[in-house]
Amino acid sequence: MTDCGCDKAKAELEEYLHRELSEQDFQDISEHLENCEDCTTEHLVGLTLTLKMQKACQEKAPEELRAAILARISDVPA
Amino acid sequence: MPSALLERPADLSAALERAELDFSAMTDTQPAPELRKLFEDQALQYMDQLYAAALRMTRNPADAGDLVQETYVKAYAAFQSFEQGTNLKAWLYRILTNTFINGYRKSQREPYQGAIDDLEDWQLGGAESITQGRTTRSAEAEAIDHLPDSDVKEALQSIPEDFRLAVYLADVEGFSYQEIADIMKTPVGTVMSRLHRGRRMLRDLLADYARERGIAIPAPATRSKR
Repeated sequence: MTDCGCDKAKAELEEYLHRELSEQDFQDISEHLENCEDCTTEHLVGLTLTLKMQKACQEKAPEELRAAILARISDVPA
Repeated sequence: MPSALLERPADLSAALERAELDFSAMTDTQPAPELRKLFEDQALQYMDQLYAAALRMTRNPADAGDLVQETYVKAYAAFQSFEQGTNLKAWLYRILTNTFINGYRKSQREPYQGAIDDLEDWQLGGAESITQGRTTRSAEAEAIDHLPDSDVKEALQSIPEDFRLAVYLADVEGFSYQEIADIMKTPVGTVMSRLHRGRRMLRDLLADYARERGIAIPAPATRSKR
């Protein structure tokens, strides 16, 4: 087991976070993160940013929107 | 633990499975009332999510509501041609995004953004802070976590629109890069570049907000002059 090193890890952290890596690359980065505090903290910032955005962007559509949509699609010839 | 990963929304795959089942029963000769019921059952569940996205796009509730209505009208009109078993949510987002880009964006006073991908980072006012140390970064994560939601929304609103859309679709909605490329009609490489630059800008903005709020983050050594 050879560590892929910080350069590869840093370059691919975003794809790692978004689960876009191949299985092999994913493994490599996971293993590197287990042993590298520096890259782990960098990953933590990225993860925090994503989770924070998910939380901040929760919205509920106004009550009347559903009725408005239903009324409008009644006029559409399907 | 920090090594935790993002989960794709669990309800999405379940919803898609249901969608596949229902759509496989649908034929071209489906009578209108049943088509309508199918549409209501399958498509309307995404209304809150589409509205949230529309709100980030248009930046105001009235336009967001109109945009979502228009999206559903178009989706319903085209629902017969929706390919069975494919991703309904991504399909709806494609209609939403197109409708926004072709209609609302033009009518809003937004600076021309056609060449935004070609701009260098320094022209966008940000710089990669490569020498940032570990202590600074853990402080950064903590600061982001403590900011109010309104700061996060404000930061999102202030980055260039194409970056904002890519970030929103990836981070909030959990779409894959390929799905985002299809929704935004750009190559995957462009999606990745927009995501990377958009997220970098958000980090810088949120770090600024945190400092303004008195949450301490040591300034990184390579911070560019604004």
